[in-house]
Amino acid sequence: MANLKDIRTRIVSVKSTQQVTSAMKMVSAAKLRKAQDAIIQMRPYADKLSEVLSSVSSNLSSDIENKYAKRGTINKVLIVAITSNRGLCGGFNSNVIKRTVELVSVTHKDLATKNKVDVVAIGKKAVDGLKSKGIKVSNSYLELYDKLNFASVSEIAQAIMDSYANGEYDHIELVYNQFKNAAVQNLVNEQFLPVGDIAQTENKPKKSGYKPSYFFEPSMQEIVVKIIPQSLKIQFFKAILDSVASEHGARMTAMHKATDNAFELIRELKLNYNKARQASITNEILEIVSGANAMKG
Amino acid sequence: MLYLEIISPEKLLFAGEITIIKLPGVSGSFEIMKNHVPIISTLKQGKIKVKETSGIVSYFDVEGGLVEVSNNEVKVLVE
Repeated sequence: MANLKDIRTRIVSVKSTQQVTSAMKMVSAAKLRKAQDAIIQMRPYADKLSEVLSSVSSNLSSDIENKYAKRGTINKVLIVAITSNRGLCGGFNSNVIKRTVELVSVTHKDLATKNKVDVVAIGKKAVDGLKSKGIKVSNSYLELYDKLNFASVSEIAQAIMDSYANGEYDHIELVYNQFKNAAVQNLVNEQFLPVGDIAQTENKPKKSGYKPSYFFEPSMQEIVVKIIPQSLKIQFFKAILDSVASEHGARMTAMHKATDNAFELIRELKLNYNKARQASITNEILEIVSGANAMKG
Repeated sequence: MLYLEIISPEKLLFAGEITIIKLPGVSGSFEIMKNHVPIISTLKQGKIKVKETSGIVSYFDVEGGLVEVSNNEVKVLVE
């Protein structure tokens, strides 16, 4: 049986680990709420934008000039992997990395062998994880989470959209964790560009019956051309916010489990400690008694 | 009465009853008052001027955006 002092040190160290994990859980819970608020705050904007887009584009019969529209052949693919900067959040990051590797080596295998698949990493964990899997990361954004706002996100989105518009890539995909609730994240890979058929993909306005006939200024075409990039940026922003909320949710769950495990571990260690203590007391009594007997004899 | 909401992707900037709003439209600045015809228009960089029913005048700087007016409801999406 392990000696008493060893067990005592183990208990102390497990206890302090437990304190750290439970504190991390609290911090994540607070950050999760903030991240969820950000998603809720963005919703009215996104809803209105897609409502206007669908109402404008449904009035528009002819095809509009759109530099984000679909092109014939796919020659080069870009994958954007969105992870966090920090670990200790369960399978959150490794799932994204796994899916990215799968996309590169299975889905786009033919292009990958010709070096026609690029990966952009958002978050430090994606950079490290993909490097260790032997995938070259062509560009990375690590400081995004230090100051997360729409302006900084839309800058990145613009850079990615430009690379599509100027023909560098023909297909762009996002890989990220979609936020469902605090305990559940859905890993998704979503087509970012080219944009789908606008009139079809956007949900139709719910209000039926009275529909005001709008007056458009300057013209429908110009409005659509202006809204499309904006709605792409919103889509990208939403992906980032979802990922952030998922990260905190995942970390909260992971830390909760760690705290529970520490409890269990302490319970076991205490039991062992008491057993060892009892054994040593029994030993001492045995020695005293046998010593006394020897004196008597 | 005219109801106005100014929304950015990050938060609701303004919501309330107003008498008049002045917007930097792409093809020139314009104002909206009560019973304006339904309109959708894009905005360029500039200042939005809002006069509330209480008489308070406030300004918002925008980089660009979109405005929709229908049924005496003004929604401004700003960047």
